[in-house]
Amino acid sequence: MAHSVRSVQEFVQDSFVPMVAVLCSEEAERVTAKNKLSFCELLRPFCRLTSEGHIRDPNNQVQVVKNLRIGVNSIETDPSTASMALRPGQLRLLDEVVLTCQPQEGAPTTSIKNGEYELNLNVNTPWFEVYRRKFLQSMPSSDHEFLNHYLACLLVVSSTEAVPVEQFLKLSQEQHRIQHSGEYTNPKWFIPNTLKYYVLLHDLSQGEEQRADAVYEDMKQRYGPQGCYLLKINSRTISAGVDEQIPDPWSQYLHKNNCQQQDLVDDPVPSADDPPADEETTNASDVVDSKTEHDVMSGNLENHPLQLDASISPGNLETLMTVNTELKKSNREVDPQTGGAGSHGAWLTLSDHDHIRQFIQEFTFRGLLPHIEKNIRQLNDQLVSRKGLSRSLLTATKKWFGGGKVPEKAVAEPKSSCGLLYPPEAPELQIRKMADLCFLVQHYELAYSCYHTAKKDFLSDQAMLYAAGALEMAAVSAFLQAGAPRPYPAHYMDTAIQIYRDLCKNMVLAERCALLSAEILKSQGKYSEAATLLIKMTSEDSDLRSALLLEQAAYCFINMRNPMVRKFAFHMILAGHRFSKAGQRRHALRCYCQAMQVYKDRGWSLAEDHINFTIGRQSFTLCQPENAVTAFRQILINDSRQIAAQQGAFLREYLYVYKSLKNANEVSLPQLPLPCIQSSATRVYFGPERRLAEGEKQAATHVSLDQEYDQDVSAIWCHLEEQLVAAANRGIVPANFRPTQCCLNKHTDNLRHPLAVVEEPIIVEVTFSNPLKVSLALSKLSLLWRFGEEEASSEGLTEVTNKSEETATHEENPAQEIKEEIATTEIIQEFSLAPEETKVARLRLLPHRTGHLNIVGVVYNLAGGSTEETSEGVHTSDIIVRGRQDFNIQGPRLNVTKEDKMLVRHGPDRRLDLLITPPMPLMEVFFLQFPTALLCGEIRKAYVEFSNVSAVALSGLRVASTHPEFFTFGSEATTPMTPLSPTAAENNSSYQTVATPPQQGCVTSDVLLSAEDSAHPSAVMDIPIKGGILKPGESTQLPLWLRGLDTDGVHEINFLFYYESSEKSCRISHRVLRHTVFICASRSLSVQASACRSSIPRHDSEEDEDSRGTLVFVDLENINTSEGGVREFNIVQVSSSSPQWRLHKYINPKNDIDCKLGSRERAKLCFRATQCKPQQASLDSIQKYTFADLSLGNERIVSSSTPCRDFFFRCCRTSASQQDAAASSKLSSKDKCVVSGNRASDIIDIAKKCNELDLNIIVIWKEAQEMVLLKFKSEPPPPVIQPPAELSHLIKTNLHHPETFTHHFAQHSLCLVPVSLTLSNCSMAHVDAIIDLRHYSSSETQEVHSSFAWVGQSQYKLQLKPQEVMCLSLQACFLQAGVYNLSTPRVFAKPTEHGAMSETSQQTAGPALIIINSS
Amino acid sequence: MFGDSIRKCLAGLQGTQTWRVGIAVIAKENYPLYIRSVASQSELKFHYTVHTSLDVVEEKISAVGKSLGDQRELYLGLLYPTEDYKVYGYVTNSKVKFVIVVDSSNTSLRDNEIRSMFRKLHNSFTDVMCNPFHNPGDPIQSKAFDGIVSGMMVQTG
Repeated sequence: MAHSVRSVQEFVQDSFVPMVAVLCSEEAERVTAKNKLSFCELLRPFCRLTSEGHIRDPNNQVQVVKNLRIGVNSIETDPSTASMALRPGQLRLLDEVVLTCQPQEGAPTTSIKNGEYELNLNVNTPWFEVYRRKFLQSMPSSDHEFLNHYLACLLVVSSTEAVPVEQFLKLSQEQHRIQHSGEYTNPKWFIPNTLKYYVLLHDLSQGEEQRADAVYEDMKQRYGPQGCYLLKINSRTISAGVDEQIPDPWSQYLHKNNCQQQDLVDDPVPSADDPPADEETTNASDVVDSKTEHDVMSGNLENHPLQLDASISPGNLETLMTVNTELKKSNREVDPQTGGAGSHGAWLTLSDHDHIRQFIQEFTFRGLLPHIEKNIRQLNDQLVSRKGLSRSLLTATKKWFGGGKVPEKAVAEPKSSCGLLYPPEAPELQIRKMADLCFLVQHYELAYSCYHTAKKDFLSDQAMLYAAGALEMAAVSAFLQAGAPRPYPAHYMDTAIQIYRDLCKNMVLAERCALLSAEILKSQGKYSEAATLLIKMTSEDSDLRSALLLEQAAYCFINMRNPMVRKFAFHMILAGHRFSKAGQRRHALRCYCQAMQVYKDRGWSLAEDHINFTIGRQSFTLCQPENAVTAFRQILINDSRQIAAQQGAFLREYLYVYKSLKNANEVSLPQLPLPCIQSSATRVYFGPERRLAEGEKQAATHVSLDQEYDQDVSAIWCHLEEQLVAAANRGIVPANFRPTQCCLNKHTDNLRHPLAVVEEPIIVEVTFSNPLKVSLALSKLSLLWRFGEEEASSEGLTEVTNKSEETATHEENPAQEIKEEIATTEIIQEFSLAPEETKVARLRLLPHRTGHLNIVGVVYNLAGGSTEETSEGVHTSDIIVRGRQDFNIQGPRLNVTKEDKMLVRHGPDRRLDLLITPPMPLMEVFFLQFPTALLCGEIRKAYVEFSNVSAVALSGLRVASTHPEFFTFGSEATTPMTPLSPTAAENNSSYQTVATPPQQGCVTSDVLLSAEDSAHPSAVMDIPIKGGILKPGESTQLPLWLRGLDTDGVHEINFLFYYESSEKSCRISHRVLRHTVFICASRSLSVQASACRSSIPRHDSEEDEDSRGTLVFVDLENINTSEGGVREFNIVQVSSSSPQWRLHKYINPKNDIDCKLGSRERAKLCFRATQCKPQQASLDSIQKYTFADLSLGNERIVSSSTPCRDFFFRCCRTSASQQDAAASSKLSSKDKCVVSGNRASDIIDIAKKCNELDLNIIVIWKEAQEMVLLKFKSEPPPPVIQPPAELSHLIKTNLHHPETFTHHFAQHSLCLVPVSLTLSNCSMAHVDAIIDLRHYSSSETQEVHSSFAWVGQSQYKLQLKPQEVMCLSLQACFLQAGVYNLSTPRVFAKPTEHGAMSETSQQTAGPALIIINSS
Repeated sequence: MFGDSIRKCLAGLQGTQTWRVGIAVIAKENYPLYIRSVASQSELKFHYTVHTSLDVVEEKISAVGKSLGDQRELYLGLLYPTEDYKVYGYVTNSKVKFVIVVDSSNTSLRDNEIRSMFRKLHNSFTDVMCNPFHNPGDPIQSKAFDGIVSGMMVQTG
């Protein structure tokens, strides 16, 4: 804001002051030169009059002249014709003035708050004020106005002159010559008879005072006391005055004078825009030339103000830099000459100052004002006399010749584009002259009326330039009139500006007009109008002016009652652009920074980028690389909408600037903004990377960085590990148990320092993302870490980092070896990111020492992508900067305490803060011949290999699995009792087989086994390796039986291997290894078993009386749905396993023993089962299972041996009530030809309780056909028919009655028939039974029932012992003949132990019909 | 009122290719929700123009608010004319601003057409806001809206 210290009125007033010329003799100049001042300069500080003057106007009214200032200038004769524009020297001076006037650091700023905007603005714009003052002072004098024409001339002669009076005469003649000879046009004179004022300058330190006085007396005689003066100065002796401090009133005036003398002011800023002096002096051209000069200097910055230049290569910046430094040098050279400016007026005392002041006052009041007064009066008289005649004459001729016609007399006069030109002494100008005089002596009222009249005249004459001048001054004087009788005529100004600018093409005058008007408008609060005015004045011819005016306009917008923030910002940008064009870089930067406040963070990214880019470049050229880097960084980080080429340019510029910044200070590696690191996505993996396969061996999958983290899966693993740890610690999970985490990511719990093992690699996966549309090339990418010795979490210990590695010059750094000793850091040589790509880099670190290792960040070289097709491609690839980026991983948000909830707090995340522990064992697990697809129940043998790859022995090997029924390691305890059959040996079968004679239907070899010796309490299994310890480097192989899961589909099976170090004092108590397999199970055989009481009389079973024969039916169905061909299954053997029952005999009626099942075939096998010794089951607390094998082929498979038995017990454990299950085992492929597809396969079937029959049936089958690859198809599972093993089977009922009964109803109306009800308890428990004989109305049997009734007790409550049979005698009563259904008794039963009497209705027996005949 | 001068500022400099038509949607908080102009070269200039016009929009809103109370027409009319282009404004009741900038040489567009363009834009904008998956305040990325705008640009340009 152009905030004038003086009021606006004063400013305007001071813009137009009476001008006084000075003509000095050489001697006089020498006197003043002692003070390093010219005579004019000497006077200048005292040119403002402190006392009031008086003047009489033509009407003899006294007019007070207050606060008058006069302008003093030495006569400079300029042969060149008066130009309408400023001379180049003046332009440069203006440039200079603005350049040197920069806002101070910490200059007062106001903060303006407008809605969402809060801006900090400069309060003052001293550069503008200084420019304005200088501009108004350097106005070229023009013919159409007289304001800055010289009114008087001071003739100055020194008293030391031999004959001063002669000298005065000489000077007087000189003045006369200059004014009237016509040689010079430039110093213009107000009135032909200029006031001459004779000044005798006396040097008190030199000449004799008496002589001066004498001369002065002489002068008084000659010129009158009003016309001369004796000025005595230099009263001070140098020696005396050292200690005296005298204010230096010249300093503020002289500053500019020095500039005029082309001494470059010592500018702290090396500015590229100070044109070299020689070039300037020789340059006698005008504005255009100087402008082109600027263009050269300002490099490529001149282009569209609102366009980002994509084609700019850093080369431009480079050249700019060199120019800068050169200029800096030249500036330095100039510097010494401009020293010692403070010693002005060294010979002057304070009284001398007073002398000068008095002199001015005397001159003004005695000489100048009366002179003016006289002239006003003269002019007034002339005008009054002329008025009556010429005015009327003029108007009369106009009327006659028609309006708009040029008056006759004007034809001969020169014409220009802006209309008529009067000769200097033309009578038309007299009124203007008078107006100007009045104006100068502050008689604004008279001035206004004169201007107003003049304006009319000029306009009617079409003398546009003159009219504009009159308009301008009329407006100004209207404004200055005290009490403001009329409003300020802004439209006068507008017209004046328009005429000046458009018609006369005189920008200087237009600018003056605009400056005045804007200031006046602002003082009246009309900011909007002022802004418009100022903006109108921006033009192509002067960048500096445009810039300053635009800036002022911007301030106008912000000062409006409703501040227009955005307009302010926009105009600031325009101003900044013009400043930069004018070479005023600092001002340009300041403007852009101010505008930035409005655009920042408001989503106007395109504009923001543009500003940032400009700020960056300007800062750079002004040697503020830090700011430049910040600005460029902002562009790159900003989610930019720019096109790719643009971004490429940004990146190049950034890299270049960055590089130059880095060259300046090489101490620390700076942070790079690109590419973005997604810190929270950082993953850390501990341990070596797993080999996936080694030959035929298939390695355990374990954990790898390729896997995504899954909450559920990790919960499963955690559960398994918990089980393992519990098993290792005698069933108790230690309180400090924490699941092992091999791979840390944002989902894992990272509160504790992760433990890493020495000499085992640490892999950090860093996610880089490139937000730009251009590719980035990273190279020499490596991790940055800090290492401290053990227990080094606190400070004050020797921390080693690998930071210093960054410097390009690899000196013999002793730290380098230490670093290598601590940890080996892998370096990724090349890592490129495509546009907008997100890519991960895996960085490895191999620690060699135990201690505390903190991974801080990454360090890399950054370069732009090499895919640029432009010619600068080669150039860009040169720019490689090295920098770092730190990880900044935030922990999860805290949400425990109240403070946590109210603030946003984050917990620590220590996933990169590692503790390196001593060596630990490391195990690898491999699988051999591991299948991927199995039939349901198929048994296959695979091998597993454990190898210890570390230098530490491991022990306590265990495994836990989500599907413990899937596999078994077998046990070496069960050794075959009978010699192996030859086929089995030949087949290399996994089964123990015994050759059996082809004796049909016979069950052989019962084996009693207790369940406990093979069943485990949980999913955890010890792995039976020899000695339990795996020594370093050792490996061992174990067989592994697998059994296809009973439900078809793809199953995910997880194994977790557990091991611990054989040395107990480890920080890591144990380690685990994960393995996941996917098994595809397809359907094979469906087995259903049912049992029923044998109907064969008891005496048939000779073997033992106690056991009740029970028939067991096994329904087998081939439900395989393989597409690849029909599968046949061969039932080889059926075995039973039960603590109470055993299969006894095969009683299939058809006797086809070799049971083959084709696709979708069913078979029914029938067996007789007998009970084992009951006391065996009841006495022993440990349940013992009896295995009975019934071979259908010619060899018996020992079902009680390893795979079969193990799986049986596992199945028992996992599912309490067994259904059908099957297992098959496949032979090794080489045997196929020998056995002709007769592979040993078997099905184990487990029976279910049927009628309280606790018998498990194992069906062993083999696949008869070639195995084809199973294709898994998801189909609805086959309906499983499960015989209800409910309480309804507790009691069997049976009604015994005669089939027919004949009764003579005629004799006896009631017919009583005895019926016996047999109840038999099938279970092994005591059963309470209720027999209810009452009829219940049930739908269709209503009539039948109503016809008969039970006689006697209608309800019985009984208790039945285990296996007890009881008979109840009932009587039925019939009323008439017919057929009756007797099975109406309802039987409820429940086991006695069951407390609740939830009696269940027993199944209703079939209809028991009785025929009653009537005889 | 000042476009004139901007033109002056920009005149004679390279790359002053003007857009023929541009449409912008500005959020209540004065950040752009959607900005599109025909000529992409002068996109930056278009952004600046739209941003600057917000001052006038605010001025108009506040001026109307005082005199007429809630009765405010959504269409603000010509914000300011310049030699190069005309800027029209429209403010929804939720203070979302629509700005249409058309080439001054395009004389075929009358006030009524501009008005209907705004209405169409407003309807389409409402549709976007009704999308349950659109988060109010996010930049508009609706294809339908894009289509409407493109249609207008073809029609006017």
